[in-house]
Amino acid sequence: MMKDTIIKLDNVWKIYQMGEVKVEALRGLSLEIRKGEFVAIMGPSGSGKSTAVNMIGCLDVPTKGHIYLDQHDISKLSESDLAQIRGRKIGFIFQQFNLLNTLTALENVALPMLFQNTDREKRLETAKKLLEMVELGDRMQHKPNELSGGQQQRVAIARSLSNNPEVVLADEPTGNLDSKTGEIVIRFLEKLNKEGKTIIMVSHDANVARHAQRIEHLKDGRVVKRG
Amino acid sequence: MQNKMLQDVIIYVVKSMKNRMMRSILTIVSILIGIMAIFALVSFGQGLSSYVNQIGQEAGADKLIAQPRGFGPPGTSSTPLTKDDLDFIKKVKDVSEASGVVMQQAEISLDVDKPGKWVFVMGMSTIPSEQRLIDESFGGIDILKGRNLKSGDKNKAVIGYNYQFADKIFSKPLKLGDKIFVNDVEFKIIGFYEEIGNSQDDSNFYITINDAEELFSKKDEYAFIYIRADKGVNPSELAAKLEEKLRKEKNQKEGEETFFIQTFEQLLETFGTILLVLNAVLAIIAGISVLVAAVNITNTMYTAVLERTKEIGIMKSIGARNSTILFIFFMESGAIGLIGGAIGILLGYGLAKLGGLFAASAGFALLKPAFPWWLIVGSLMFSFAVGAASGFLPARAASKLKPVDALRYE
Repeated sequence: MMKDTIIKLDNVWKIYQMGEVKVEALRGLSLEIRKGEFVAIMGPSGSGKSTAVNMIGCLDVPTKGHIYLDQHDISKLSESDLAQIRGRKIGFIFQQFNLLNTLTALENVALPMLFQNTDREKRLETAKKLLEMVELGDRMQHKPNELSGGQQQRVAIARSLSNNPEVVLADEPTGNLDSKTGEIVIRFLEKLNKEGKTIIMVSHDANVARHAQRIEHLKDGRVVKRG
Repeated sequence: MQNKMLQDVIIYVVKSMKNRMMRSILTIVSILIGIMAIFALVSFGQGLSSYVNQIGQEAGADKLIAQPRGFGPPGTSSTPLTKDDLDFIKKVKDVSEASGVVMQQAEISLDVDKPGKWVFVMGMSTIPSEQRLIDESFGGIDILKGRNLKSGDKNKAVIGYNYQFADKIFSKPLKLGDKIFVNDVEFKIIGFYEEIGNSQDDSNFYITINDAEELFSKKDEYAFIYIRADKGVNPSELAAKLEEKLRKEKNQKEGEETFFIQTFEQLLETFGTILLVLNAVLAIIAGISVLVAAVNITNTMYTAVLERTKEIGIMKSIGARNSTILFIFFMESGAIGLIGGAIGILLGYGLAKLGGLFAASAGFALLKPAFPWWLIVGSLMFSFAVGAASGFLPARAASKLKPVDALRYE
């Protein structure tokens, strides 16, 4: 493992038992991502992209193999420990935005800090700064359903950064946006990458993926092409 | 770690409850009814208990009462206590004083020809210390207006509290100096007693023992003998001793006595036990409605977990631990319980007050609800606990959701 490796998947298998049938979603996936990289993971549906993202994002644990985050093996951690790690080290951006509809933009951005037990004042201060950074300083008290798709995704970007994570994991971040708004979102990701964040983005759209420095092509649960 | 979160969790909980306003309100109503019922019932029970305790304190620990053993209401026994019994009791060591009371149901009326009312007429001693003994035995009541009966009074009456008011006994209120007929014999009202608190005792009619014996042609027959023990004497030991001596005096076998002697404490204990059982039964009935409410809360929370599966997935993906999710849902069901409890207490308070007024107007002023602080705090804590406990299973189900599955849920 290289010294600046932030995430490493080592021969990772994920096997789901669906009734009588065993489904092998990942079949010995190995992947290494270094600090500060902007990596895209591409592949057709069924290629195991989503499962791979779940593994990288500590949302799920592998059936076999090891996952290292910051040199620590997280394959065998409990759900609560995983929650702590992903809260601190990983920022999520989803295709569906996944904001909480009962909360304002500001509260949504502040929420991950609440789970890390940050003081209220510090939370609101950081959340404000982040929303200003994604150019939503005038929309802080709006609820998600009062915002456009692009604006919601920018709130989600702000939220993903609130605990100052090392890795931002974006799962089809432009999938629900038109190409113009999608561009804006991608530009924010590029900006973050320039500021030193590691970005891992899943996409099936080559136009989106080309913004990354490196693309990993997945098929049948393993990497088939690097480039 | 949860304390820093508390404020925000509360905000979050309030927001999600507002989001499902109707369902939250209905769930709150279901617990509210139970808490209201329990609160009102217990406050009445408390009122009664403190009334009994008050009587106990005022009647003091030095008094005993001898009554004929028999069936039916007091005063109808076939073998009443006699003057000989009274004289015998008075002579027993450790007895300070004793006083017999004649009691008879009689018709009283405002006019000779008019139909009257049936009440208890009591023939009382005119010796001041014996009057004090009896007044204390009634829970420390005093003469409210006018004066007490005294030696030499003839055809004079001191009457109960309720006679002062229109439509309680007679349609017109009575006042000092009014005339009243008992079995067509005229009596003059010279005094009123204070309120005892139940309509029967507050309708009592008191005359001298001589008048009563003459009126009812009952010589030396007592419905009660009130006894005061000497200072420092244990009243229950004295009761046992008196019972044994009087039995021998009357040549009766053990277990076949025509009388019994109790201390006031024993009397109140019996009453207290009845109250306790009554309270328990009422509380169980009210408890059933709380149980139904608990099931309702559980149902509501399960629905909430289902509805918010995706939300739970999101929260977990951004770092919420299982314990945090558990805490949030726990707080939400607890809040439902607490709010329901708070409103239930307010309504229960109103209900109890209303019931108290209703009971007082029906002549049961002793049925007064009491609201000790622990009842209010206890009800609040109980309602929160019921809410939280009802939410436990759904909350645990929520906390155990796998983030991947929860996120995929639509």
